[in-house]
Amino acid sequence: MRAVEIIEITDNCKSCDHCSSICPTGAITGKLGQKHDINHQKCINCGQCLINCPFNAIQDLNQINKVKQALDDSQKYVVVQTAPAVRVALGEEFGLAPGTSVKGKMFAALRKLGFDQVYDTEFTADLTIMEEGTELIERILRQKGPLPQFTSCCPAWIKYAEDRYPKILPYISSAKSPQQMFGAVAKTYAAQKLNVKPADMYSVSVMPCTAKKYECDRPEMIASGYQDVDVVITTRELAQMIKTAGIDFLNLAEEEADRLIGSSTGAATIFGATGGVMEAALRTAYELLSGETLGKVDFHTVRGLKPVREATVNIPIKELGQTVPVNVGIVTGLKHVDSVIVDVLAGRSKYHFIEVMNCPGGCVNGGGQPIRHD
Amino acid sequence: MSQVKGKVLKHAGQTRLMHWIHLICFVILGITGLGFYFKIITIDYIFGGIGNASVVHRWLGVVFTVGPLLYILTNFGRFSRFIDTISTFTKDDFKWLKTMGGYIPGLKGEVPPQDKYNAGQKLLGWLVIICCFLFFVTGFPMWLWRHAMPPQLLGLCYDIHFWDAVIAILAVAGHFFLAAIHPKSRVEFASMMTNGYVEAAVSAHHNEKWFATLQNDSELKA
Amino acid sequence: MNTFQEKTNLTRRQFLRGSGVLAATAILGGILAKFGFNVQARSQEYIAQRANGLYSLDERMTLRKSHENPEILQIYKEFLSPGGVTPLSEKAHHLLHTKYGDEIPELIAELKQHSHQAA
Repeated sequence: MRAVEIIEITDNCKSCDHCSSICPTGAITGKLGQKHDINHQKCINCGQCLINCPFNAIQDLNQINKVKQALDDSQKYVVVQTAPAVRVALGEEFGLAPGTSVKGKMFAALRKLGFDQVYDTEFTADLTIMEEGTELIERILRQKGPLPQFTSCCPAWIKYAEDRYPKILPYISSAKSPQQMFGAVAKTYAAQKLNVKPADMYSVSVMPCTAKKYECDRPEMIASGYQDVDVVITTRELAQMIKTAGIDFLNLAEEEADRLIGSSTGAATIFGATGGVMEAALRTAYELLSGETLGKVDFHTVRGLKPVREATVNIPIKELGQTVPVNVGIVTGLKHVDSVIVDVLAGRSKYHFIEVMNCPGGCVNGGGQPIRHD
Repeated sequence: MSQVKGKVLKHAGQTRLMHWIHLICFVILGITGLGFYFKIITIDYIFGGIGNASVVHRWLGVVFTVGPLLYILTNFGRFSRFIDTISTFTKDDFKWLKTMGGYIPGLKGEVPPQDKYNAGQKLLGWLVIICCFLFFVTGFPMWLWRHAMPPQLLGLCYDIHFWDAVIAILAVAGHFFLAAIHPKSRVEFASMMTNGYVEAAVSAHHNEKWFATLQNDSELKA
Repeated sequence: MNTFQEKTNLTRRQFLRGSGVLAATAILGGILAKFGFNVQARSQEYIAQRANGLYSLDERMTLRKSHENPEILQIYKEFLSPGGVTPLSEKAHHLLHTKYGDEIPELIAELKQHSHQAA
C-alpha cells in the first residue's frame, strides 16, 4: 500500500526503544541507544507509539491549518463529524476525569468554532450496522461470501490485512468505515437536502485515531464524486483548536448534533470500545433474524479488555425455523490477530463474525486520543 | 603537627581495586551518558557510533554494579566498618561541618579531631551509595524492562537517571579536587591510587581519632 | 619505622550497621519494585474508564439499536433504497461499500466513470 507519512519520530527521540515493542507491525527501526525511525511502508498509522512515547517525541501530521483555512473560506460549507470515542476523552484535555462525557459541550464548541453543520459519526455507525449486519446475514443464510466475516471499521487493521494477508481480504466486510460512509453520504444526501453544491462542501472529521488521516486520503474514497472526507483531525487537535479559540469549554451549555445525519442510538455510541461493533451488530442481527424484540440489549460477554474474547449467541432464525448458535470473536490489539487469521485461512475457525480493532481497548485508546502519562 | 613517624595502611588492596574499577567505569559511563543526553555525536564516535556507545554504557553499567557488590560480599568486614564509620556522627562531625574542615577560605575556626573519614567524606560516602543505588534501580529497568514498563515509568527512570548523574558528577568532581588537587589534602591521593599507605603524621593530623585507635591497638600488641 | 596495619576485628555494632544497610537497600529496592508494579497496573485504567463512559452513555439513550434510528430509516426510504428500508441496495453499494487490495484500481475506475455519467 501507499506509504504516507502520518506518524513521524522527531529529534527528541531518546532512543529508549519503548515504541518498537508497542508497534504491531515492526515498522520502527533502531536499536536501544539509536534514534528510531519509522518505515512508512510497514506503518499502519495507528499512533500507538505516539501515545506511548515517554518523551512525546513522536508526532502525527497536524491538520489544524487545513481546517482553519476551510472555516475562514466563506465559499466553503464546512460540515463536521465526531467519532464516539472523542466525547469521553476530550474532557481530559480540560482537566476532567477519563470517561467523563462532554458530548453536549463538544457539539457547542464545534458550533462556536464556526462549523456550518455539526453532525455525528454515530449516525453512520448505525448505518454501518445496517449494511455490515445485513452483509453478515447474507453470508450466513445465502452464502454470499466466505465466513467468518471480519469488521472493516478500523483503518489500521485494513492496511495491516492488505499489507500482510491479501488472502484474508475477501473475508473482510465490504462496508466502509463509519467515517467514510459519513463522507459519502454528506456530499450526496445531505448536500442535496441542504441545497449545497457538493463541490463547495468541506467535510471535516474529528477522530480518536491517526490512521483515519490515512483512510480519508485513500484514492478510492471518492464515491460522492469528490474526496468524501476532506480532512481528519484528532481529539488532541480539536482540544488545541478549542483552546486557541479561547472558548471556555467547561462552561459551555450542552447542545445537540444537527438533525438529518446527526442522530444516533446507543449501539453506535459503543463503537468506540472494543467489542462495541460486535454488540451493536448482535442487537440488530438478533432482532432482524428472529423477528423478536430483545428484552435485554446488553451483551456483557463481548465486553472487557482481554485481547481476544469470544462468545456464542443463540439466535432463533425465523427464516430457517431453528435456533442457530452464532460464534463471534473479538480481537483488540493487532498483535493478537495473526493466530486468528491463520486459523481462518486454514479453515479451522469456528467463528461467524470477528471484530478487529488495532488499539488495545478499542478506539477509546486510539492514537489520536489525549496522552495520559499519569 | 604530630611527631609520629611511620606509615598507615588506609586502603587495603581489594578496596583500591574496587575504587579503580568504579572510577574507570564512572568516567566512561559519565562521558557516554552525557553524550547521549546532549546528543554529542563526537563522543559517540569515540566509542564506535551511537549504537556501540550505548552497548558500552550498558555493559560498563553491569561492571559498575557488580564490582562494588562483589567487594561488599567478599569484604563484608571492611564494608561494615566503613558503614559504621560513615554512619557515626558526633559533635565533632557537626563542628567540622560548621567550619567545613577549614577548606573554605572564608570559614575560620578550630577544626575538631576526625574519624578515619571526616564529616565531609562521610556525607560523600552516603551520597555515593544513594546515587549508585538510584543508578541501578533506574538503569537496569531502562535496559531490560523497556518493553514491559508503562511509558510514564520509563520516562521517570530517564529523568532520575539524568539528575542522579548530574549530582554524582558534581560530587565526584569535588571529591577529585580535594583528593588530588587541594594542597592540604592531596597527600592522601597516592594512598587510594597506588599502595594504600599514608604518612602516619598526616593521618594523625587529619584523622586523629582513628589514628588514636590504631596506635592503641599496636601498643596493646606490643 | 612503624607500620600501622588496618583493623581486622568486627564489632557487633559494625556488623549490624553493615548488614542493616544491605537489608535496607534490598527493602527499598522491593518497595520501588512494588511502586513500579502499581504504576503498571494503574497505567491502563483510563482505557476502562473511557469505555465505561461510552457504556453509560449507551444506557442513557432511549434508542439503543441501530435499526430503530429514525434518521437511518429516513435515509433508506428517501435516498438509498427509495420506498423501503433495504440495505445493500445499488446506491448503498456505490456509496457505502468499498474494495480492498488489488481490487482498488478497478474500483477507482468504476467510481470515476460513475461521476462522469452523473455530470
